[in-house]
Amino acid sequence: MRKLLILKILICLAGHTLLQAQATRIDFVEYTLDNGLHVILHKDNSTPVVAVTMMYHVGSKNENPERTGFAHFFEHLMFEGTKHIERGEFDRYVEGAGGTLNAYTSFDLTYYFELLPSNQLELGLWLESERLLHAKVDSVGIATQKDVVIEEMKQTRDNQPYGRLLAETLSRAYTKHPYRWDVLGKEEHIRYAEDHEFSEFHSMFYVPENAVLTIAGDIEIEETRKLVAKYFADIPRGRHEIYRPEPVEPVRTAEVRDTVYDNIQLPLVLQAYHIPAQGSDDYYAVDMLAALLSRGESSRLHRSLVDEQQIAMMVQAMPLGLEHPGLAIIYAMPNIGTDPETLEAAINKELEKVRNELISEFEMQKVINQTENSFVNSNRTIASRANNLATYHTIFKDANRINTELSKYMEVTRDDIQRVANRYFREDNRVVLYFLPEPEN
Amino acid sequence: MKKIIPLIFLFTLILTVSANAQIDRSRPPEPGPPPVIHIGEYETFTTDNGIRVIVVENRTVPVVSFQITLDIDRILEKDAKGYVSMAGELMRTGTSNRTKQQIDEETDFLGATINTHSRGMFGSSLTRHAESLLDLMSDILLNPTFPQQELERSLRQSKSALSTVRTDASSMVNNVSSVLVYGSDHPYGEITTEETLENITIEKCREYYETYFKPNVAYMVVVGDMDVETAEELIDRFFSGWEPGEVPSHKYETPQPPDGRRVAFANRSGAVQSVISVTYPIQLTPGHPDAISTSVMNSILGGGVFSGRLMQNLREDKGYTYGARSSISTDPLAARFNARTEVRNSVTDSAVTEILYEMERLRNEPVDDETMDLIKNFMTGSFARSLESPQTVANFALNIERYDLPDDYYTTYLERLNNVSVSDVQKMARRYLLPDNAYIVVGGNRNEVAETLEKFSISGDVEFFDPFGNRLVDTGQAVPEGLEATDVIDKYIDAVGGRRNLEKIEDITIEMEASMQGMSIQTVTHQKAPNKYYSSMSMSGNILQEQIFDGEKGVIKMPQGEMNLDDEMIKQMKLQFTMNIELYYEEMGFELELDGIEAINGVSAYKINITGPGNIKRTDHFDVETGFRVQTTVTEQSPMGEITQITTYSDYRTVNGLKFPFRMMQQAGPQSIDMEVTNIKINQGLSDELFSPE
Repeated sequence: MRKLLILKILICLAGHTLLQAQATRIDFVEYTLDNGLHVILHKDNSTPVVAVTMMYHVGSKNENPERTGFAHFFEHLMFEGTKHIERGEFDRYVEGAGGTLNAYTSFDLTYYFELLPSNQLELGLWLESERLLHAKVDSVGIATQKDVVIEEMKQTRDNQPYGRLLAETLSRAYTKHPYRWDVLGKEEHIRYAEDHEFSEFHSMFYVPENAVLTIAGDIEIEETRKLVAKYFADIPRGRHEIYRPEPVEPVRTAEVRDTVYDNIQLPLVLQAYHIPAQGSDDYYAVDMLAALLSRGESSRLHRSLVDEQQIAMMVQAMPLGLEHPGLAIIYAMPNIGTDPETLEAAINKELEKVRNELISEFEMQKVINQTENSFVNSNRTIASRANNLATYHTIFKDANRINTELSKYMEVTRDDIQRVANRYFREDNRVVLYFLPEPEN
Repeated sequence: MKKIIPLIFLFTLILTVSANAQIDRSRPPEPGPPPVIHIGEYETFTTDNGIRVIVVENRTVPVVSFQITLDIDRILEKDAKGYVSMAGELMRTGTSNRTKQQIDEETDFLGATINTHSRGMFGSSLTRHAESLLDLMSDILLNPTFPQQELERSLRQSKSALSTVRTDASSMVNNVSSVLVYGSDHPYGEITTEETLENITIEKCREYYETYFKPNVAYMVVVGDMDVETAEELIDRFFSGWEPGEVPSHKYETPQPPDGRRVAFANRSGAVQSVISVTYPIQLTPGHPDAISTSVMNSILGGGVFSGRLMQNLREDKGYTYGARSSISTDPLAARFNARTEVRNSVTDSAVTEILYEMERLRNEPVDDETMDLIKNFMTGSFARSLESPQTVANFALNIERYDLPDDYYTTYLERLNNVSVSDVQKMARRYLLPDNAYIVVGGNRNEVAETLEKFSISGDVEFFDPFGNRLVDTGQAVPEGLEATDVIDKYIDAVGGRRNLEKIEDITIEMEASMQGMSIQTVTHQKAPNKYYSSMSMSGNILQEQIFDGEKGVIKMPQGEMNLDDEMIKQMKLQFTMNIELYYEEMGFELELDGIEAINGVSAYKINITGPGNIKRTDHFDVETGFRVQTTVTEQSPMGEITQITTYSDYRTVNGLKFPFRMMQQAGPQSIDMEVTNIKINQGLSDELFSPE
């Protein structure tokens, strides 16, 4: 049970970091239709399967502060049906064709995909073009999904032990930037939103110039181009300027420290350090520093806190790599009998060590090996390649990062690790939160 | 010996092809011509010491994996159930050359993964680290040391995990179903309990390893960026020292479905939902001629798609549940049908009726063509998608070798799937759907649900089981004529020493050792008549919590601060901490209700509902035979909904002529604490200062 909880935390923090690249080159074709829809085609005929995917450049950071949770709400609404697809039929078309489907929302983007037998490519294009052109933003669908999404907030966040971890961290780490609320958003914002507000959100963000259509798998490029044109070329551009927040957040000059009481059994200590945006030069070193601290049972924090001192049940360090400057989060749960202060002191001691001493050649090589291994494994399936191509295009306007990212990591030196430890993992650049069990009554 | 088996065939979807020029958005487009599917190739060879190797070369990514699978019979573990999987888990925690720390360090350095289990192991890394990976794997496989302290650590975790079974209806249903379907003298019918964990020793684990981990019963599956020559050379280099040996084989009776329908029930106090399983054993080995048509039949009933009939009926039509599914496995030893759902209490019997109805309907009515097409398309698509992973090809090859399937078993799979007819489906339904010979296993609220299920049982009886699948003694027992709640309490008072002796207790000190989530906590409680109370909980000398009450005021001290008690709490504590409150129920205005006899952990017990002043509500169970209290249940409202706390008492021992339970197990939601009394002292003349909140 406890194990499950930890896993949950990992998942909600893991978010959508871009730890993807590959040793072998991934070829693709890309172009933009007149209406602004970007198209990426990746051909791999080894299995007769095709991934048809749409990524919209809209996430929780594009929301009105008074209407948080809208981007995620749309992810649900987009399965409700369209002008030509009855409620509940979306799933049946895909499964009846032998396929499968799903979607997710993050701080920066929203992603939909169908995985189909390759002779059903056109079905996938029809479904996604319907979603863009004819999505049903009507009162029945909105009312149904309001209930479902509010239930989801309760189940996965508000009533879940440690479920509010990320939301409580963000609201203290950011003061101006829309990263200050989480992807699920506020319950009352969804509850009291009126139908026309949803229509407005759709007409601003669900437009071809704000999307990338990525098709990967068993396709022929020329034929696919024609089909894409058939279903998408006549979809009109949007009529509104798309709202994109500036990456503004005042520089931190002092530590923020707070205590949150929650319905939990064991305390949790969390530190969040401001780090640069994903894809910036220092980001790669920060990511590898996090691996040094907590990837694998021989990592520094795990060995010291869990195995040797036995003061922690678990410890984890991970960067929340985002389009705008994000956070590196370290969190740990003490064994019974260890107070949070002791645990935090032990974490600080390990951080101090990285700041003051150059890491060994051996450890550097270990982190390089781990990074390379996880890279290579992250592009194994056509579904993951489609997702990665779409994300690199959406965030960096450079889908070819799928081929160049790994070399960025390989350029990181031991000095870089020490340098970013000193630059970002500082007391005045962090939020520290103690999550403590609510006192009885 | 090497053989190359190319696997190619046509992807035959049941669909027509047509071209359309003008875009019509109102209808879904027609699919293109069915693509050709290439399953991929594998090669096999056998090493000198008998390892049968399967190599699936796939150069997509520079990664290679090695999977060792032992082809051995299941074994009966009897009173030490759990030791076989423990042996597998412990292999990775130390070898004669490496400590666990060294194994961790080396695995991480390679960026690799290594897992061990009771029937083999798995390792994966980048191809260029393959030699180092195999070096580590062979050390783990050939030289494990089974450290005692790792066994102890692992047992603590297993016990914590197991303790949640008592409050989890789903685990209860799994346990009861396994015992009924396979029988408790079958390897699939054995259940791990706290008692069987106690019997696990390092010697048993080592003996299991030494008997069964032999190359002549092993398959080694190599998948990924490696050719067969390299694999052969590396396997020879790292595993030729693995000594062959004779491995015992075991045969078991084939489990049979019950002659008539039976209903089994496991009680989960306070449950608002029932977990329902309709299940029985079948004989369906891998590669059986019925396997594919049966799998089509099951998909129609309640397989993977949303459109399964159980889902349509119970969820879409009736709104009983979030999900309802069925499964039919193939298994070389014993297969099984299982239909499963979770529904609210009031519709439990209706849900069973609908499941049985859908099973009957499939036996009696031919399926319509549209349904057949949808299911076949879904299954074809799932098959095709699964082929993207080279591991799938490896699994196919392993199945062909292990179960002696025809070489073209998988290449002809889709063809045979396509050939399954409406009448085949009905034939399979008649052969494998046995609504009249099923076990209906339900976990849930006995008081509200059990009686409604009698109508499904051929005997008219519902059989009761404990959470671990042990049949309970007959609890249909009626309360003896004229017996009242106060008689039960009096019997308890007599059993633990008698009213006069209890009244002589001035003070009492109880020391306990508790374990929670594998961590150990010490507690001390002092109590002094009439209602003074002190308790402390500590771990490795650090006090986690102190509770102090002098009869009028009190405080709770924790590391994060003190909490003073409000009037409401003080009122509650005055009662709660009254020494031997059972003696004073009547004069304090408690109401008692004798609410029948129930089985608690295998014994029949009187159920007494107790309502007291200040909103006190609890249920106590007293052993019908001995009179001892065996369980207390308290339900409280909390921000997370209702929380039921169950405390069970056992191991009554005598101290100064009085009886006390020396073992207590407290359970609230997923949390459980196991407490053992280490010392009880009576009438030491405790001073009042001890109970002063200041």
